[in-house]
Amino acid sequence: MIQAILVFNNHGKPRLVRFYQRFPEEIQQQIVRETFHLVLKRDDNICNFLEGGSLIGGSDYKLIYRHYATLYFVFCVDSSESELGILDLIQVFVETLDKCFENVCELDLIFHMDKVHYILQEVVMGGMVLETNMNEIVAQIEAQNRLEKSEGGLSAAPARAVSAVKNINLPEMPRNINIGDLSIKVPNLSQFV
Amino acid sequence: MSDIVEKTLTALPGLFLQTPGAGGPAAARAPFSSRLGGLIRGITALTSKHEEEKLIQQELSNLKAAVSAPTTTLKMMKECMVRLIYCEMLGYDASFGYIHAIKLAQQGNLLEKRVGYLAVSLFLHESHELLLLLVNTVVKDLQSTNLVEVCMALTIVSQIFPQEMIPAVLPLIEDKLQHSKEIIRRKAVLALYKFHLIAPNQVQHIHVKFRKALCDRDVGVMAASLHIYHRMIKENSSGYKDLTGSFVTILKQVVGGKLPVDFNYHSVPAPWLQIQLLRILRLLGKDDQRTSELMYDVLDESLRRAELNHNVTYAILFECVHTVYSIYPKSELLEKAAKCIGKFVLSPKINLKYLGSHSGSSTPDDNN
Repeated sequence: MIQAILVFNNHGKPRLVRFYQRFPEEIQQQIVRETFHLVLKRDDNICNFLEGGSLIGGSDYKLIYRHYATLYFVFCVDSSESELGILDLIQVFVETLDKCFENVCELDLIFHMDKVHYILQEVVMGGMVLETNMNEIVAQIEAQNRLEKSEGGLSAAPARAVSAVKNINLPEMPRNINIGDLSIKVPNLSQFV
Repeated sequence: MSDIVEKTLTALPGLFLQTPGAGGPAAARAPFSSRLGGLIRGITALTSKHEEEKLIQQELSNLKAAVSAPTTTLKMMKECMVRLIYCEMLGYDASFGYIHAIKLAQQGNLLEKRVGYLAVSLFLHESHELLLLLVNTVVKDLQSTNLVEVCMALTIVSQIFPQEMIPAVLPLIEDKLQHSKEIIRRKAVLALYKFHLIAPNQVQHIHVKFRKALCDRDVGVMAASLHIYHRMIKENSSGYKDLTGSFVTILKQVVGGKLPVDFNYHSVPAPWLQIQLLRILRLLGKDDQRTSELMYDVLDESLRRAELNHNVTYAILFECVHTVYSIYPKSELLEKAAKCIGKFVLSPKINLKYLGSHSGSSTPDDNN
């Protein structure tokens, strides 16, 4: 189970904070700071896993992080998750952000924090991994975005809004379409060397 | 990396040249998103923590006035809510906004509801007294014909829901297990899993429905049910030994490439699913020779197939090796697993070295 997902920049400023376990607000802020200090000390050629800090639960939990340009993506997980699997999940999340925002950069995360939360909600729900296929996640988000576009032109009449929304068909993703190898434009990520 | 920094640097002057969102008649016409932008720009321009605190406190008092004013429309409330989320993320208390978040989720149209639910899931916690006010909204949304609303309700149920009100929504969610849309069934499974975590005695009677989810025609739903099974098998593995055959069959199908092609991640079939199944098999086969014998073939197959050099195949190999070590031992499999760990430790990739040396400490002491 995933305890928390934190995204902060190279100076420790939080860009996305999502806890799947209850911590009081003060402790949440301290956890972000503690995680930042733990992760900042790591060299680029050290492995991407470390034990959680004392505030988040100590050695029962692991912090799995990836550093992309100016951002650290940190997933705090317990022993039931596979470390290498989570590493790839972070990659899927970032690739999905890239697909939704088009060449995502830190500014996109800052100014569209709520959109990033919605995307994350499609990937991890209640601490459990819900979806790992980037196209599926994007399809869900697009369904929500289409509603945004159609509602923008409506007046406040709730009945019309409700009927317009009722008539929207969520796309059925056919399972047997060979999507093949997508050429994804991902930002220049720090790879395993 | 350098072109991202470049993009950031070139975008910054353009943003700072835009008119700030606070005050003046121009602000009323400006798009609402610039308010959050204005706040953020304001913060990035400051250098000290003390100034940031001052600015945020100012912003919070503006927001407090805005949310309590009777003339605030729901649309404006939505925008205020995003700013409140931002302030809370930075660590400043915005508890005056909690009740408005709930109101937004109750009364807003779809987008406002989405922001309201997001705010509630970030601000409140399970034993918060305001949460009970949300239960009616969740019940209504679960019964809605709009699929997006149902999805939102299911998401909020699995993030944060008061334990005492579980009986109110339980039948509705059980109903969703038979929904025609795959995403709803999947979210319903995870919501029920959350209930199992917080109140296991209340979901005893639906274990048979979990079994149906395991055999669901959609792989996503089946994958979601694996989370539940992993947990339940961890607690009591003997109760689920009869499912070993099904898990082995599913894993065989995945490894054999029988899943639709869009489950492939860098041409590896459904890696996270394989990892999850291997972990479940590990728990089932521990110290049990008969159950372990059912797994030897598929473990052998997985070890053989994961030959590609992508990071995620290493993840699968690692889980495979761990499983081989934990279940009732078989010498050929142990040899192959030991060779695999050897490769990990010798690999130039530092993560693999770490994992390889870590698992070395849990090797069985003798191949008997």
